[in-house]
Amino acid sequence: MGLLTTVTFLPLIGAIIILFIPKEKVAVIRGSAIFTTFATFVVSLFLYAGFDPSLVGDGVPVMQFTERYEWIATFNVFYAMGIDGLSLPIIILTTLICFLASIYSVSIKERVKEFFFWYLLLEVGMVGVFCATDLFLFYLFWELTLVPMYFLIGVWGGPRKEYAAIKFFLFTLVGSVFMLLAIIAVYFAPNSGTFDMLKLMEINSSWSRNFQIVAFIGFYLGLSVKIPAFPFHTWLPLAHVEAPTPVSVILASVLLKMGCYGLLRICYSILPAGFEWFLPYFIIIAFINIVYGALCAMAQTDMKKMIAYSSINHMGYCLLGMAAVSSTGFNGAVLQMINHGIITGALFLLVGVLYDRAHTRDISAFGGLGAKVPVYAALMVLTCFASLGLPGLAGFVSEFMCFLGAFPVWKMWTILSVAGILITAAFFLRMIQKVFLGPLNEKWADLPDINTRELLAIGPLAVLTVLFGVWPKLILDITNPTVTALAEMHSTIFKYLH
Amino acid sequence: MNNLHLLYPEIGLSLFALVLMTADIFFKGGKGKFLYFLAIFSACLTLGIIGLAYSNPSHYQGVGTLWSVDPLALFFKVLILGTTVIALLLTVDYKAPVEHGHLGSFSALVLFSAVGMMLLASAIDLLLIFLALELISISSFILVGYERTDLRSSEGAIKYFIIGAFSSAIMVYGISLFYGAMGTTRLTQIAAVSAETTSPMFLMGSLMILVGFGFKISMAPFHLWVADAYEGAPTPVTAFLSVAPKVAGMAVMLRVFTHFVPIGQLGLAHVLAALAMLTMTVGNCTAIFQTNIKRMLAYSSVAQAGYMLIGFVTGGQLGREGVLVYSLIYLFMNLGAFAVVIIIGNDDGYELDAYDGLAKRNLGLAISMAFFMLSLAGIPPMAGFIAKFSIFQSAIQGGWYWLAIVGVLNSVISVYYYMRVAHHMFFREPRTLEPPQANWALNGMVTLTIAAVLIFGLYPEPILSTVKSSVTIAAPAATTQFSSTGGNEGSALLP
Repeated sequence: MGLLTTVTFLPLIGAIIILFIPKEKVAVIRGSAIFTTFATFVVSLFLYAGFDPSLVGDGVPVMQFTERYEWIATFNVFYAMGIDGLSLPIIILTTLICFLASIYSVSIKERVKEFFFWYLLLEVGMVGVFCATDLFLFYLFWELTLVPMYFLIGVWGGPRKEYAAIKFFLFTLVGSVFMLLAIIAVYFAPNSGTFDMLKLMEINSSWSRNFQIVAFIGFYLGLSVKIPAFPFHTWLPLAHVEAPTPVSVILASVLLKMGCYGLLRICYSILPAGFEWFLPYFIIIAFINIVYGALCAMAQTDMKKMIAYSSINHMGYCLLGMAAVSSTGFNGAVLQMINHGIITGALFLLVGVLYDRAHTRDISAFGGLGAKVPVYAALMVLTCFASLGLPGLAGFVSEFMCFLGAFPVWKMWTILSVAGILITAAFFLRMIQKVFLGPLNEKWADLPDINTRELLAIGPLAVLTVLFGVWPKLILDITNPTVTALAEMHSTIFKYLH
Repeated sequence: MNNLHLLYPEIGLSLFALVLMTADIFFKGGKGKFLYFLAIFSACLTLGIIGLAYSNPSHYQGVGTLWSVDPLALFFKVLILGTTVIALLLTVDYKAPVEHGHLGSFSALVLFSAVGMMLLASAIDLLLIFLALELISISSFILVGYERTDLRSSEGAIKYFIIGAFSSAIMVYGISLFYGAMGTTRLTQIAAVSAETTSPMFLMGSLMILVGFGFKISMAPFHLWVADAYEGAPTPVTAFLSVAPKVAGMAVMLRVFTHFVPIGQLGLAHVLAALAMLTMTVGNCTAIFQTNIKRMLAYSSVAQAGYMLIGFVTGGQLGREGVLVYSLIYLFMNLGAFAVVIIIGNDDGYELDAYDGLAKRNLGLAISMAFFMLSLAGIPPMAGFIAKFSIFQSAIQGGWYWLAIVGVLNSVISVYYYMRVAHHMFFREPRTLEPPQANWALNGMVTLTIAAVLIFGLYPEPILSTVKSSVTIAAPAATTQFSSTGGNEGSALLP
């Protein structure tokens, strides 16, 4: 059994074990869940250790740790897995976030057994999406994230959880059924008859431009709901706000990345002509995501909702980087995915910490907390600064690269998008000011500071934020060769851009 | 009477049913419980014989005077008998037949109905098709009305009967028109006189025959009986009726409309496409508003028939395979859902509120039901996804993009009401924490079906390869020109 299968299905084994533990033994269930996610994280580090970043081919990406078994012969479906420099960092991000969020999940007190069952099942789907190199398998994992997420939001969420859960489910499903049709269409395309992504990347040149556009639209509808790209973003604020803290973290840090990853892996790589056709609209969507997301965040009084909208803004930077179709832009986009995962994950955890104590997330309900809870305040300020793109912290590097990549190609839109950075800075600074500075609101005079468990979950993310800020090479060394090859892959189609 | 021996399984099962009917006189009340097991045994025995025939084509397969026993027929006979066995097992402790005493005649009626379906799957003559349909219908009318003291049961039976009689009349009229155009009721003769197949009379006849089948498979707009009959009938009967007649109807429609009647040539493909879209949409949109789980599943079964109809539109090899795959998987997921409905319904009734907090009462049962619902909605990795995938694949391959889009959007609509069951089970508080009671048969059937739904969802290859070898329709060589393409090459004959 290969390493990728192990890292994907280890959480499933944990989930099945948890199903057999009596529901009264809460500590045992929590322990096994945390242990499972930790083990998965460790296995994913083995991937990192064994990965050779310099292995890139001419054109089609070279996958490592590949596994390929015949699965459904009638449809020519293979259980095919493999990773390259694009997927490896996201996989490690996924397992790390799942591990840290499971530590935080100790705060879940009700129906613990079910919670961790769905939680671990969700991890299977998320890791699987980034490992699969067969479209059928990809779709299977993609949909596998849907049901656990529905239950996680619907059972353990906030006041409007049930509405949020079904809205999330239906929105994502509408998108993904179109993706399913596109997958089938690609299967029946000339010279195809396969779901193998790598094979499809080779033969797409024989497809007509119109076909590629139609198939692209199908895939794009599925992927853009997950990103979420304007105008399919309306499920996100609701789902993020209503979900319990650990699930919000996973939603923001990992689930959104599935969409971006799919854009590069499928839309761009398999349907370049469709991607090329869409590019002029794509850059506008990126711009709207950046500015509109930031403006919406600015208007919020609920901290969690503000961060949710800031995710839309940050995903906009990702899209901007991708629209560049250059090595710099793609590198920026991938780095932005990772950094957003780390920073926004930490932000959601921090807001959760405050909410657990104060039972409100209203920005103006606080004041002067900086002196009261110094450790918490320091962490919050650090992550906010990282999120608004302060040089020296992780967010800056990736945002800068996205802008740098996009500028030569889309000068006007890039310049306009800079406004997003400004607004982001404004609302984060306003939040810091209202919550941590000024006179202490006496209501919170005995607010306890962050505890060890929470520190254990958030600390590593804070460390990584600083680390990737000053030493982004750690990630770029893995991604750069793959992503550069990816940008060159269809250079004939996109050469007019440069 | 050529090759009468091909019908021995049907004849044997009828004899068993007659024996049960007679035995009913001597074993009244609860004493007659072993008659159930006799019925189950006879159905299993027949299933075994069918399995034998399936595995040995040269001995047990062939074409008779009015019937053709080919892989397609045998495949559907296996499904029909499987449904019969499961439905009878679900009935073991069900109160209605026990209270009314006539256990023997109850199981005999189920068997008669099964015989009718088996004949339907094999029939290659319109007269036999009509006889088989009547045998199914009359047994089903009585089964639906079996809870004599319950007004709903009687209401359902009456509605079912009136609409059934009406559609039979239309079908007979269609057959007479068919006879007028072709001078025969043999489907195998169609190819021999292909000049007549473009006549309006033939077209009218075919359409009216389609109406007759549409009634059986609950195709909109002939589905109006479904909700009342399903709600009123004893629940195991509902389970049986929601699968077996539908599957048998699919079998005969595959034979008639993808093999003998050149639907492409008649321009019927567009009619079927419109009917498929209508059936899916009407079924799903009506199901949203139901608060009774039996009515909801009734409309869901209408929608499921709509998905299956997509396979007929394209008519080709992939479409037929899709219908077969869908039928097989539908059997497991729908019977599984009904097994849970029976378990809950015995104590808590059939309103959706009865499912409140089931996750806290019995997590395993709640997860199973959620999986059945997800499977019916077509969410991977449940088997229902493979079924939908096969069907939509055939639509895309045939170039019916609109049909595929309407189909997938419909499955999104269906998620809304299927997940409402999950909503009740997982998001609401239970009225009692006591786990629902179930006997060995019900528990066994839930386990069996959930295993099938999961295993076939993750590893569908065995089904798919079986189906690939089962789409063969044995018929005289003269008609094979229509067999594989559903008459597409005939479109040149259109004006």
